[in-house]
Amino acid sequence: MSGETLYQIGTQQLPLMGKVNAIPQKAVEEYYTSGHRTCQGCESALIMRLMAKAAGPRTIILGSTGCMYVANTTYYSTPWVVPWMHTQLGSCGSAATGTAAALRALMRKGKMKQEPINVISFCGDGGGVDMGVAGISAALMHAEYNHLIICYDNESYANTDIQISGASPWGANTTFTPPGKKFRIMHTRWKKNIAALYAVGHTRCNYVATGDASFPADLIDKVRKGLATPGPAFIHTLDPCPKGWDYDPFYSHKLGELAVETGLFPLWEMTNGELTYTGISARLVYGNRKRRPVREYLEAQGRFHHFTEEDYAYFQGEVDKMWDNWSMPGVIPFKLGEDPAKKKK
Amino acid sequence: MSVISFEIVYRGIYQKTLANKISRTLVLAAVKEGKQGISFGRYSDSPERNGIPAKLFGYIADNSEELQAVAAKYEPKQVDVSICVDDTMCKGVESWAWYGLQPITAVTKPGGTLIVTSNYKTDDLVKHIHRRGTPYKLAIVPGGASMAGLWVYKNDGTDARVLGAALKAEPSICSMASLEQAIRENIGGDAHIEAARASFEDTRSDEVKPGQGNTEVPFTFQLLKWTEMREGVVIDGVGGHNNYRDLEGGYEPGRNEVFKKWSTRTMRPVVAFDKCTKCTLCWIACPDTVFDVTPDGYFDANMEACCGCGVCEAICPVSDCITMVNEVVFEDRGSQYLMWKKDAQAYQGYLTDKRKKGKVEKRFPITGLAAAFSGAGLDGGHNLNSAKAKSVKDFK
Repeated sequence: MSGETLYQIGTQQLPLMGKVNAIPQKAVEEYYTSGHRTCQGCESALIMRLMAKAAGPRTIILGSTGCMYVANTTYYSTPWVVPWMHTQLGSCGSAATGTAAALRALMRKGKMKQEPINVISFCGDGGGVDMGVAGISAALMHAEYNHLIICYDNESYANTDIQISGASPWGANTTFTPPGKKFRIMHTRWKKNIAALYAVGHTRCNYVATGDASFPADLIDKVRKGLATPGPAFIHTLDPCPKGWDYDPFYSHKLGELAVETGLFPLWEMTNGELTYTGISARLVYGNRKRRPVREYLEAQGRFHHFTEEDYAYFQGEVDKMWDNWSMPGVIPFKLGEDPAKKKK
Repeated sequence: MSVISFEIVYRGIYQKTLANKISRTLVLAAVKEGKQGISFGRYSDSPERNGIPAKLFGYIADNSEELQAVAAKYEPKQVDVSICVDDTMCKGVESWAWYGLQPITAVTKPGGTLIVTSNYKTDDLVKHIHRRGTPYKLAIVPGGASMAGLWVYKNDGTDARVLGAALKAEPSICSMASLEQAIRENIGGDAHIEAARASFEDTRSDEVKPGQGNTEVPFTFQLLKWTEMREGVVIDGVGGHNNYRDLEGGYEPGRNEVFKKWSTRTMRPVVAFDKCTKCTLCWIACPDTVFDVTPDGYFDANMEACCGCGVCEAICPVSDCITMVNEVVFEDRGSQYLMWKKDAQAYQGYLTDKRKKGKVEKRFPITGLAAAFSGAGLDGGHNLNSAKAKSVKDFK
């Protein structure tokens, strides 16, 4: 049974921003407002704000457990304007599929007016990189349901005071990996390449992107493209976290920029089988701009303050490898090998 | 037969360790003299967020029966000593717990003492503290707010000085000798003990009379009874949006009516509208949706919602357009834009005056663990007024 024969509702086609100062004209309305219990300078809260702004009023948002669940719904109060529902830590994907399926069934049976309603399901890096991977993977394989999954990644379980997650970077100080006098680097794993994992592994998913709240027009456009694309879509965002990364909230925006400018977190989008880098990352990839040293990014954060010269060099080396050796920087970590038939000779 | 109770109001994460050290050490000092005590955090404050006011409580009793009797009540309704380790919280605290805005003296006993760490004088602080019907004493421990990070403690002696002042306020807790011993075991060495002693001797308290202070009525709301809650714990979303204030046009988002967050800020942005180029960056980069859009396209920071992160100042491309200013120098939460529209020249005067009094130059240091490895101290501070009292001059 092909997707085309099924009952279709279509998706919302919302105008794109293009540049940042067009946002007040094109999307001044807020659907996630003030009065949340996040930290000062919380970039994940900014992701929520931009995501809701991009999606507009005809949207249902689902959130798995994490900072953006706890801080936004404590004690009978909320900053959400659009309908929002909590789901369990690992069930971001199934909640998205279920909600999209339910809406479609209600519309098909005539119990609800037929209209495209955006379904966004968000999870933190705990929900999207660790626990919820299976659910999201399944959701991205169901091409007949229109929804968007956003993983807001602050690189730790920040809600419960910074435990390590699959998205924590190498060497970072977390509550689980405090550097000691004998062993300086307690976190020895590299950050999971999660957006690429979902992009490469789910061939029926037509939109996967990475975003950063420091580039708001780019992010809003990506959310709108993800929602406009039929079928499931996935966006991974990197959110500086003043509490867990240990810096003054004043630098939240700057750190988001640095993550991209140093090449650590390339911005890209995969649309219908074609991958394009966006913004600064495009200029880095096509050689119009040089990467800033990763050290600038690392030194600005307390969680890397135990780093020695050797550690900075190792970190830079790994990022260089990602740019020089990978067939697509930040996406495909390997190249096509030689023809074995040639090798034999 | 007596029970002494105290509370410590602190900024989440930044002052978590500071508050813990003060609370623990005070109880452990009393335990040295055969008393019984407990120090604990308010459950609803967890998980803590940067800057959001949180609270620790402590009881010191003569014997375990007395202690159990008071500790069973969990959160004390009245305390002998209230300790506030950041003077900007004198304007009231809106914690995670469901209280609305609580005056800083909300649970201070009639005649009890409020200890505040501040670089300001009694009169400067009393005008911020909500007035009440009963008198209390206000003692100031000189110095800026000591802020640190999640893992690293800024060991600048604030803990010892607050302990000295607390003992002065409530001498029946224990003897100075016991406090000194507890400080040595839990905080630090001679420098800290000397600081506690100096603080014990120097701290003076002023009586604040009934009716004295801020006349504003703190914001409250009606708590729902469980029978009034809806099935599935459903609540209404934030409703609608408006034009900017009473004007034609503009945009003001609807806002959460039962949690406003402004008591989280230690500094606020002031905007020089004459310099603004309407680039929109502050508006779009604000995680708290603080900026209302005015009919003529300016962005007015709403002081009911701003939590003072400073991202707007960081992102503003025009120099001296947005500046962060210490919250203590303000007495209102009104609209800066309307003030500017009414009288641009007077607003310029206001701007210059406030910046002069409290422009925040220094940023909260990245704490990390570098200091712990090198043995170097952590300097700098979140507040402009980082002048230290003479007793902490020697801290490294």
